[in-house]
Amino acid sequence: MTVNQFLILGALLFSLGVYGVLVRRNAVAVLLSIELMLAAVNINLVAFGSLLGDTLHTGHIFALFVITVAAAEVGIGLAIVILIFRNRSSANVDELDLMKW
Amino acid sequence: MAEYFQDYITVAVFAGFGALLVAAAVGVGWLLRPSRPSAAKATAYECGIDPVGGGWSQTHIRYYIFALLFLIFDVEAAFIFPWAVRLEQLGLFALVEMVIFIVILLAGLVYAIRKGVLKWES
Amino acid sequence: MFDYHALLPEFILGATLLVVLGVDLLVAPRRRWLAGAAGIVGLLAAGVPLLTLAGVGGTREMFAGSYVVDDFALVVKGLFLVAGAIVLLASMSYLRGDRYYEGEYYFLILASIAGAVVMASARDLITMFIGLELVSAPAFLLAGWRKGDLRSNEASLKFFLIGVLSSAVLLFGMSLVYGTTGESTFTRIAGATAAVSGESAFVLGVLFTLVGFGFKIAAVPFHFWAPDTYQGAPLPVAAYLSVGSKGAGVVGLLTICYSAFAGARDVWGPALWVLAALTMTVGNLTALRQSNVVRLLGYSSVAHAGFILVPFAMAAAFEGPALEEAFFGSLTYLLVYAFMNLGAFAAVIAIAERTGSREIDDWAGLARYSPTLATLLGVFFFSLAGIPPLAGWFAKFVMFKAVLGDPGNAWGVSLAVIAAVNAVIALFFYARVLKAAFMDPAPESLPEGAPLSRPLAAALVITLAVTLAAGFYPQLLAFFGEAARGLALP
Repeated sequence: MTVNQFLILGALLFSLGVYGVLVRRNAVAVLLSIELMLAAVNINLVAFGSLLGDTLHTGHIFALFVITVAAAEVGIGLAIVILIFRNRSSANVDELDLMKW
Repeated sequence: MAEYFQDYITVAVFAGFGALLVAAAVGVGWLLRPSRPSAAKATAYECGIDPVGGGWSQTHIRYYIFALLFLIFDVEAAFIFPWAVRLEQLGLFALVEMVIFIVILLAGLVYAIRKGVLKWES
Repeated sequence: MFDYHALLPEFILGATLLVVLGVDLLVAPRRRWLAGAAGIVGLLAAGVPLLTLAGVGGTREMFAGSYVVDDFALVVKGLFLVAGAIVLLASMSYLRGDRYYEGEYYFLILASIAGAVVMASARDLITMFIGLELVSAPAFLLAGWRKGDLRSNEASLKFFLIGVLSSAVLLFGMSLVYGTTGESTFTRIAGATAAVSGESAFVLGVLFTLVGFGFKIAAVPFHFWAPDTYQGAPLPVAAYLSVGSKGAGVVGLLTICYSAFAGARDVWGPALWVLAALTMTVGNLTALRQSNVVRLLGYSSVAHAGFILVPFAMAAAFEGPALEEAFFGSLTYLLVYAFMNLGAFAAVIAIAERTGSREIDDWAGLARYSPTLATLLGVFFFSLAGIPPLAGWFAKFVMFKAVLGDPGNAWGVSLAVIAAVNAVIALFFYARVLKAAFMDPAPESLPEGAPLSRPLAAALVITLAVTLAAGFYPQLLAFFGEAARGLALP
């Protein structure tokens, strides 16, 4: 039982999330991709926490905080997406181009 | 470790029997019942009256607020479980801390109610 | 273990948050400004224990070293509290003329400030993450405060997506750092660094952390959200983002680099060198082309983040007093920048209310019909440009002195040259706005604007006083930077 397989899973999931953020156009799908990245972080943290045999369980506690913060962020994010959907009838991030350099 | 997995074998056997039981009941029913499909049988069931509109309808956006309020107390549990496990060692201090934490969350709920978020009309 | 005196500022802020919510519920809509007033009182009250703590002196550690109240934390907390009060003052009249929510606005600003105050003391990965999120999450909502305005919506969504993305990257970095060192408290991470400094997972963790903070402080190439968000967000929120949110990012970066990654300076030093050079140059060059004043300030704040990073980037090459000087340079620049940028934004809010426009061309001849506002704008913009004897000059002076701490170091000298060229470029775009205000002829029909409101005037007076005082009497802010420099050498 090594920690490697968990880290590889975490890295894959993280990369998948980054890919989703870059190519998906729907704001909700982008949000879901970011959640994937956070899930990857949680896998990492819990795997490291178990591997290290940390008596303070820092990794596990950290993962708990990540979960709660992620939930809060999803709440905020969905509120913003709903707001935009009401005003423009679309949640497509490509159409958000009122401001450019 | 071996004991740990033995416990899981019990669970697996139990789950297997459960699945078998369901499969047997459904299978026997399938063998015995007559099969006469008709258009009326394929429609959505709405307490016996004719269904109106499609099955795919948008859920009202107001449910979002309820989901959000639920989320707050749902996620709060993530902190309460580890706290509860260690409560006996941590003592009164931790109890007071948790009460403060929940009171602050409740203040948010009271605020939401007073602002009329949970009222359906208007 | 539980030091009530040291935690008193946080307790007061927490209580203030509940009071603001209560006031918002209980008073009539017309008197909602009372919530803002309660917020300002709370911020000032939270400053009192800072003074008593400074009087007692010493370093107080709590929770096994993950929450530390030292001189650095006190100075930075004081900065955030004062900046928060100024932002609230500048917001009050803006919100009055708006049909959007008022009480919730003050609450969210205060919540964000509370996060920044936690950040100042955080000496642990988890605490720092929570603080950073508490700073950012309310800011996402604040950026979209003008619900009906498509630009504000867009600002909010861009800021949110980038903010959450950067948090995910930062967390991934933190998880690797935790995994390789086995520690989450900064001092213990620093202690464990030597054994793992060659491991690629650890180096990757440090770099991911840098990228995460790079997004937060809007360093090039992670800056593209900042001008859009500043332009779309309500003006006082843009002011807050450019000082509070960015300041919290800088403080986090300073603490984590100087204390947790003290043993990995050869990893983050060169990376920050590139970030600093790019941030200054791209920020200033793009600012040259802007026609909207708020967007111009957005790029200018990107460029200033680059100036803050300049001494920071040379930390890898410095030892002993020069290293301390570099830390002092970054921190002092942040302190000065906070006040002059808040002042500049307050002046822009006042002028935008007076002229009804944020375009540079519409400000033509401002000095003819509103000489006071034009002069204020001139003071703050010249200070941002670094003209003596204003505060910005002193900040630039400290920055150059720090980066040239080792005159034989070619990297330091070349970065100083880049910074000097950029300081000259910056003068151009600040001067362009002032040329429109002072030299161009006023329009035939003068714009009908509202008179300056009292809270906004107060914000202008405070920032003006600090900008002038710190310029003529630099020891004023240098004293605080001096007090806080101890963090550089653990």
